[in-house]
Order: sequence, then C-alpha cells, then structure tokens
Amino acid sequence: MATYDIDAVREQLLERVARSESPREVLRAPELKELYGAIGSLDPAERGVFGKSVNELKLAIEAAIEAKEESAADAAVVPLDVTAPWDTTGGPIELLRTSQGSQHPLTVELERVVDIFTRMGFQAIESRQIDDDFHMFGSLNFPDDHPARDGYDTFRTEEGFIPPAHTSTMQHRILKDGRDKLEKGESIAAISYGRVFRNEDVDATHEHTFYQVEGVFVSETATLGDMLGTLRSFFEAYYGQQLKIKTQPAYFPFVEPGLEFAIEKPAALGGKPGEWLEMLGCGMIHPNVLEAAGIDAKKYRGFAWGGGVERLVMLKYGIEDLRHFESAKLKFLRKFA
Amino acid sequence: MIISVNWLKKFTDIDLPVQELAELIGQRLVEIEEVIPLTDKYRDVRIVKVVSCSPVEDSDHLHLTKVDDGGVVEGVDRDENGYVQVVCGAPNVREGMFAAWLPPKTVVPETYGTAEPFTLGARQLRGHMSNGMLASAKELALYDDHAGIIEIDQPVEPGASFADVFELNDYLLDIENKSLTHRPDAFGVIGFAREVAGIQGKAFRTPEWLSHSAPVETVEQSSDAAPRVVIEDPILSDRFTGMVFEGASEAAQSPLWMQTYLARSGMRPINAIVDITNYLMLLTGQPMHAYDYDKLLEVSGGVNEVRVRAARPGENLKILDGRELELSPDDTVIAAGEVAVGLAGAMGGAATEIDANTRRIFLECATFNLFKLRAVQMRHGIFSEAITRLTKGVPAPLAQPVLLQAAALLAEYTGAHATSSIVEDYPGQSGESQVVTDVQRINDVLGTALSEDDVKRTLEAVEFTVEIVDGQVVVGVPYWRHDISIPEDVIEEIGRLRGFDSIDVTLPLRRIRAVEPSAFDQLRTKLRRQLVRAGANEVLTYSFVHGDLMQKAGQKREEAYRITNSISPDLQYYRQSLTPSLLAAIHPNVKAGYDEYAIFEFNKFHTKRHGLNEEEVPKELDSLALVVTRQKKQASAAFYSAKQYLQYLADSMGIELFYEPLEADSDYPVTQPFEPKRSARVWDRTKTVRIGVVGEYRRAVAKAFKLPDHTAGFEVSPRALHQLAEEASVAYRPMSRYPSVERDVCFQVSVETTYQQLADAMTVSLSNAPFEVSFAPLDIFQPSSGNKKNITMTFTMFSYDRTLTGEEVSAYMESVVKGVLNQVEGEVV
Repeated sequence: MATYDIDAVREQLLERVARSESPREVLRAPELKELYGAIGSLDPAERGVFGKSVNELKLAIEAAIEAKEESAADAAVVPLDVTAPWDTTGGPIELLRTSQGSQHPLTVELERVVDIFTRMGFQAIESRQIDDDFHMFGSLNFPDDHPARDGYDTFRTEEGFIPPAHTSTMQHRILKDGRDKLEKGESIAAISYGRVFRNEDVDATHEHTFYQVEGVFVSETATLGDMLGTLRSFFEAYYGQQLKIKTQPAYFPFVEPGLEFAIEKPAALGGKPGEWLEMLGCGMIHPNVLEAAGIDAKKYRGFAWGGGVERLVMLKYGIEDLRHFESAKLKFLRKFA
Repeated sequence: MIISVNWLKKFTDIDLPVQELAELIGQRLVEIEEVIPLTDKYRDVRIVKVVSCSPVEDSDHLHLTKVDDGGVVEGVDRDENGYVQVVCGAPNVREGMFAAWLPPKTVVPETYGTAEPFTLGARQLRGHMSNGMLASAKELALYDDHAGIIEIDQPVEPGASFADVFELNDYLLDIENKSLTHRPDAFGVIGFAREVAGIQGKAFRTPEWLSHSAPVETVEQSSDAAPRVVIEDPILSDRFTGMVFEGASEAAQSPLWMQTYLARSGMRPINAIVDITNYLMLLTGQPMHAYDYDKLLEVSGGVNEVRVRAARPGENLKILDGRELELSPDDTVIAAGEVAVGLAGAMGGAATEIDANTRRIFLECATFNLFKLRAVQMRHGIFSEAITRLTKGVPAPLAQPVLLQAAALLAEYTGAHATSSIVEDYPGQSGESQVVTDVQRINDVLGTALSEDDVKRTLEAVEFTVEIVDGQVVVGVPYWRHDISIPEDVIEEIGRLRGFDSIDVTLPLRRIRAVEPSAFDQLRTKLRRQLVRAGANEVLTYSFVHGDLMQKAGQKREEAYRITNSISPDLQYYRQSLTPSLLAAIHPNVKAGYDEYAIFEFNKFHTKRHGLNEEEVPKELDSLALVVTRQKKQASAAFYSAKQYLQYLADSMGIELFYEPLEADSDYPVTQPFEPKRSARVWDRTKTVRIGVVGEYRRAVAKAFKLPDHTAGFEVSPRALHQLAEEASVAYRPMSRYPSVERDVCFQVSVETTYQQLADAMTVSLSNAPFEVSFAPLDIFQPSSGNKKNITMTFTMFSYDRTLTGEEVSAYMESVVKGVLNQVEGEVV
C-alpha cells in the first residue's frame, strides 16, 4: 500500500496558493483528490486518523485561499483623494435634514441637571469610567471586605481596576482639590456626573450601565438642614414648583448620618398629595472621608448625595423600559427629535 | 424579614394605627415594604372541644364528631345538647381534644386573600351533615402540615376566638433588611421593639432574662459531662458557648403559641428543640445549633472536645441538606476532636444530626467572623435565617443569656435538663465602649437646637447610658451597638430617633462664586447641538463589549482591559474606541427601515496602549464617533459624507483641519476599523495636534457588520478639538464698502495631484496679495478618458479702499495662476 506524505502535499499546495492568480483552483488539485480517494482504501482502523488529517489539510488550504483572496481584494481597493471636499465626479455634499436629528434624552437631562447645579454654584465634573479600589471604596470609608461593598456588585478587570459603581468615585478627588478653597474661607461645592456600572442582569428595570449625579458640599458651617434645603431647592428648580420632602434613614459607609431623600410627586408628573418619589441617597460626609482627603473633620463638615438620572427621564416621559437608553434604536431616539 | 406587631407589643406599647406605625418606622429606622394584616383571616375561627368522636361507617378515615363551641357561633344546626356535628377526616381527631373549628360561612384561611377564596358551608359527607370543618395547620395558613388537625395545647374555654388566644389579630411588617446590615440587634424582635419604643418616645421593657447586667456564671472547662471548647484562632470566632442536655426527644413538640409565632414569622415549626432555638433567634438575633451529643462523642473517638478551626485543604463535610461539601481553608468548621461536624454558622453536619434515637444534645450558641461567613454564603450557597443574622455580626455578650433562656425553655417544653454548666471559649471579650461628644456639635451638624435633656432622653430610650456635664456628652454604648463608635454615629442616632424630617430645612451660607460648566462641557454641548442640527441622532452605547465585536472591527483583544466577573457574556472588555459599538447599531436600524441617517456618540474609551495616568489608573480618552449611512446612490464616495460632517463641526468652531492619507498610520485601536486607502488621519492645520480619523471601513469590517455600501464615519478626540477651539480667534473683519469680484479658474492637473496640493499652492501664491482674496472649490471633474482631472476654484477679491478694476484683477489672477503652475504640474483650461 502506498504511503502518503500529507505534510509534503500541504507544503506544495500552499505554495501554489501563494503563487496563483486564481488560488481557489488549488482546491481541485489532483494531489488532494488522490488523498481523498485513498481514505476509502485504508484499513478501517487507520481510516479515522488519516481522514481527519486530510480534512485538516483541506481546511488549511481553504484558509490560505481566503486570506489570499482577501488581501487581493484589499489591494484592489481604490484609493481616494482624502484632501478633496468631494469626489471627482460628485458635487458639494448635503448634510441630512435637521428635522431628523435628535439628542439623546439622557444627555438632555444631564445637561439640565448640570445647568441647575452650576447656577446654584456647584462646579460640574465628569466622573471616571475606570477607577481603582481606593477611589471607589477605600477613600470612602469602606474597609476591606466590608459587607457594604457587596451591595455594589462591582465589575473588576484583570488588573483589579473597577468600573465605578457610583459617581462617588470622584468624591475623594473633589475634596482633595477643594482643600485650598476651605483654607481660604470658601466652600467646596461640586457635582460629579457620569456613567456607572453594576454587575447585574438586564431587564426592563435593571441596567448594568446607567448615569448618576453626585454632589458634595463642605464648609465650616454646613448642616444636615442645609443639605435638605439644597436638595429641595434643586428639585424645586427642576420641577418648577414647590415640593414637600421626606427622608428615611439609610446606611452608606461614606456618610453619617445617612438618609434616603424623597419628594412629593410633582404635579407635572401627575402626582397627588401623599405620593412620594425616592430620588437619592444623601448624608453628612463621614469624618473618615474628609480626613482621607486631608481635611480637618473637626473644623469642616459637609454633605454629599447621589442619585440616578435615568429615573428622572423615565418619569418625565413615561419611558417603560430602561434598556431603550443604550439600545441605539432610532425608533426610540427619534421620539426625542 | 417579617416582624409581628403583636410580638413587638410584648416589649413596648404601640397605640398608633398600623399604617402610621409603618410610616414612622420607615422615616426613622427602616423601610417597611408591606404591611400584611392577619386580622380578618382568623376572625371566625373558634376553639372547640370535641365532645364525641366515632368512626363513620363505610369510610376508612372519616369520623363523626360533636363539638362544643360554647354556643357562640350563630346560625348553625345544633343537637339537643347545643353541640355541632362536624365530620372530620384527620387521623388524630379524638374525643376530649380541643381543636380549631371553621364554622360554615367561614373563608378557609389558607385561601383567604387569594384569587379563589373558599367559603365553607354545611354539607353532607357520607350521609352525615358536616358543619364547617376542623382545621389543620395548612388550612389555617400557619405552615404546610396537612397530616392532622391542630390540637390546642393550652387551657381555654370552648368557643374562644382562635385569633384572640393565639394573638393572631396581628399585622405583619415586611422589612426591607438590606438597609439594616449594620444592625444585628434589629434582626431580633426585641431589638426591633427597642427601636420602635425609641422612635415613639415610649418605654421599652427588657425581658428579665436578657438583661445584660446578669451575673456571668463561672465557666467550667473541664466538666466531665461537657466537652472542652476551643477556638483555635480568635479571628474565627469571638465566643463559643455550649451546654449539654439530657432527656431531649425529637418527638417533643413545641407549644402551639410558639408555633404560631414561628409560622407568622415565616419559619416552619419542626420539633420542640429546633423550634425553641428558632424562637430565640427570632427574638434576639442569636442563632443556635443542637448536636446529638452521643454522636458527637462517637465521631470524635471519645475525645470530649469541640473545636472551632479553619477547614483543612481537601476536607469534606456532609451537611444537613444532604450535600457533600468540599471545604476551602477559608471555611470555618466545628470539629468534634479532629473531625469536622459542622460548617460554622452556616449548617450542621449530617453525622451529628438529631434523630429519633437522640437522648442527649449539645447546644451551641456562638458568633463567627462575619466576613468569612459572607464568603461561605457565596461559596456554598447557604442563605439560611441563621447565617443571615450571623453575617450582621451578632454581639458576643448575647450568647450567654440566650443559651440560659434556651435551657429554661427546653426544661419547660421538652423536659430536657442541663447536665453541664455553660462551657465556653471567649477570646473576643471587650470592655464597654464610650463615645464623647458635645451638645453644640450635635446641633451644629444637624442644624437643630436640642437641649441637654432632649439629647439625654433620646439616647436613653434605646438603652444608651448618658452623662452630660457642661454640654459634654458621655455616651455609654450598649454591647449590641457595635456600629456606634464616633460622635457622628451618636449624632445620627439622635437625628434618626427624633426624626430627620423634624429638622428645619435651610440653605447653606457661603461666599458667592459664579460657576459655569467647564469649557470642555460647553463645547461638547455645542457640538452635540450642531450635529443634531445636521440631522444626526445621538446614541449611547455600552462601555463594555464582547471580544467578537472588537475582532469584527479589527481590534486586538489583548490591548483591551478585560472584565473578569461579568454575569453577562456580552460584557467582556472595555471598548477601545466607540466606532465598533456604532457599527453594530447600523444594520439593525437599516433593517428597521431607516435608510439614510447618521448616529453619533460622545463617550470614553480605555485601552492598555495608553497606559496609566499619574494616579495609577488607566488613562481615559474622550471620544466623538459618528457613522453616516445612505442607502440611496450618492455622487461622491461615502468618505466625503463623513468628512462633510467633520468639516461642518470644524467650521462651527472656527478651526481648520488637515487631512492626510491614513495609510502608513493605521494600527491604532481607533483606526483599525478604517480602510487605510479610503480614510484620512485628521490633524490641525499646523499638523501638530492629532485629532482623529475619518473614512470608510475596511471590507472585512463592512462585511462583518453588514454595512450598506455607502457607509463611513469618523472618530475624533473632542479634547483635541477643544484645545484648538480655545486657540482659535474670531476672524471678524469689518465689511468693505466696495464690491467684490469673482473669478473662476479651472486647473487641469494629473489625477495624482491632490486637492490639498493645489490648495496649498494657491495659498502660497496668494500670500502677498495687494487686496483681499479667498478661494473655494466649485467643481472637481475627471474626464472619463485620460489621467487628468479638472479642479475649478472660485476666487473672491475685494479691497477696503477702492473698487477693483477688471484689468488689475485679470493681471493679478494671471500671476496667481502662474505661481500655482510653478508649484503644481498642470494647465489652466
């Protein structure tokens, strides 16, 4: 019985592919046919192994052919004059109709939130989308292995970086940058806004990616009453009406006392007295957080809060499904044209 | 967690309507998710005495009974003695017993409030009239036991209301426990009641047995009857206590009142031993576990010793739910001598389980490292009521009073008696803690005006000790409040217990300082508006992508930050540019019927190629990507559609861009999707600031994303645009009073000559113009034959001080053309 040197055939055929103008023809090479023909004549015991290596050979050649065809096609791509305003046969290019443009409802609302807070004297800083354990937890009074960390369901990268689960990841930076202002007798007043992440399954009311706004205020005289006033003032500006507020104790390691803050559902949203909307978490900044940023917690105190943006948008338009926001569906987006 | 209001009432007075109570608790302690009323559910259930009981002929299980309801139920048939006839199929029905009777017209509690409530009647069963029924625990919606009817085990008058006797005219509060993670005390009814007392400003009644001032009993480590207890490493457990009991029986049942409290709290009664440990756990938050003591001795090979230790590598343990666990050295086990017999705090082992033959038990009452237990929950999937409480950090001093109370209840309800004193190991003993603050500080932080007396009364209501001297407040913290260690904790307690909503709302006093969004934010807002005006749609897409998406876009996975723990398979990597995410949105929108559109996104990307910043976290790159696609045939290549959008933005910012072929420069994550021959690297005019890339996508990319033919886009750095926009000056010049003159010139050049080369040559030639000159492209035409192309430019000329004459314009144009043709090979046609 003849023996077959598959490796030698592979080498020959691959070379032929490399040289050929029409490489696909190599698949019809007699060498290949012969190998396939030989499979049937083999001892059943050997047939499996041999057949498999012939198939692998054929796949390798097909891959080489495809690569060659691809590079030939790429080589055939016609270059164009990238410096010209339009093509040699064309004329001036029209942009699309203004009427079909739309801004994303989330960025519309974020801009509005930033606008109100800046008018209230708060600087606006965009939040990071990748951070480390120190900024996400350590500097915010979350000790290692603290159970409160579990509530955040954070993603991790191989290197141990964290896609932030709250915009508070900027708080330490804001406090550190603002130290000088305190020493000059001014206050720290800033918001951080941006995208945050939670490792969750997605459904109509859960998203792994969403937007938050965090606020920080520090001075020598800040009180919890001031915090309630500041937040109420924001929501009154936002909804353009006077609002009742209420709170509920809550636990967040970076504030003490910690609260959840609710407003009476505004008339603009069809609210009736006694209906409440939980808007955000807030509290007096924990002295450990101030000290971590080098701020004397005996002399200065402050408050912080954080809440979601999607909720504002969903309430405003009656949007039924969180997943629309990141869907990039024009059917959804053009409703906001 | 379910908390019974009636149970709370045993420790404090509650006069508020339940809804107001729930609201108050919500404002000052924890959110109540639901108030579940039991009141009507048991309204008609009566306790009756079975005065006679005989088998029904022709039936293998039915009995004909006469029950005595004291004559209280109206509208029901009675015999001459005033008794009511009920047919009962339960095997345990017998003469003389007291049972729960559901009279006719009663809704069976099991079906109460469901979609199909079942109302009983009087009906014939095997020829005998049966008025209502005698109820099982299941029919009473207590727990899932239908083997027999429940038997009333305490003395009552026939006809007594079942709800009254068992305090089932109750409301259940469904507590949102997530926000109580730092409050182990509130995971017991007693601790919760203490809070309810505090927030109502009412007295709290500590049960005698729980009083933390009870004398500590001497510990005998070497008692013959009890095992020696050893905690090998104090990190594992603060305290482990135990006692041995004799005369325990698995068959003993707990009293029905206890069963009803367990049941309404969501725990199924099992037997007296288990019920008593669960009952005390619900009351105090302290779990216990009972071992068969003789099995414990047998497993240990007679070594009378219980050890708390880390599991050994490769160690296995069969636990009570039947699973054989492979233990991790991070697990903590309870060992009898050398042999692991339980997963500490989580679940007992099968080898020492209590069964019908059990005579002696060893009752464990201990605390374990909450951090380790949290990992155990995840590792082994155990989420019992006990481990839930232990992961909140059950305080060590609680163990002793709870164990002693268990001994008392076991003696009372099972006849089991302790044969040892308490054995224990207690490495985590700690002194009483104090926090010192002052009234001024409290008022400063809260924005209140509380008096010394206000502060004192508020704290003492929940069993803090308070001494105030000259405004200084010394607070003694009870042992169950290990969450209170700094003045701010005390301030929070005061604010919370008195109600944060009672604080006056004010606005901060501060020096005025005008702020506005950062210049970058303002530019981004402006560009967004510009693009919307140009008919583009803003999208937001995920920051994380699947590896396949990067591959389809020609990007390399190894340069992307990989997410290691995502529960969604689609979120594997940080994206390395925005373009792939936009490309993925093109085909679905085309399929949805949109045939001509542009989408854009402002967002950020992260790639290992850019390394870390000075904070040692990955550099973050702001990006603006746009993709435009048109199904209709266009005169120009898609490239120019995308370029037109970029040019439009640049014009709106007053900056000039420079385009060069991408070719040599295409191996960046941002440029990888773009076809080098039909894309441009974008620079500023001086070619010092890199702005991004504009172009068509590589064939393989277009194929993988099923892109329409006419599809192109750009991805640029808005930070770079911002930098240039900041530098750009407003180029306003007064308008001339004299008319301008236009001349069109058509240059015929080689197809190799780029538009830019021609434009550059013109810029050079115009550099010393005697008057104002500008130019713009009018037409670019390539005759079908030959290798020439015609570029027609319009020159616009005017002067600020005179009307230009035709002669001087013609003469000047001639010199310009000459100058251009000196630099670029070609002719004017």
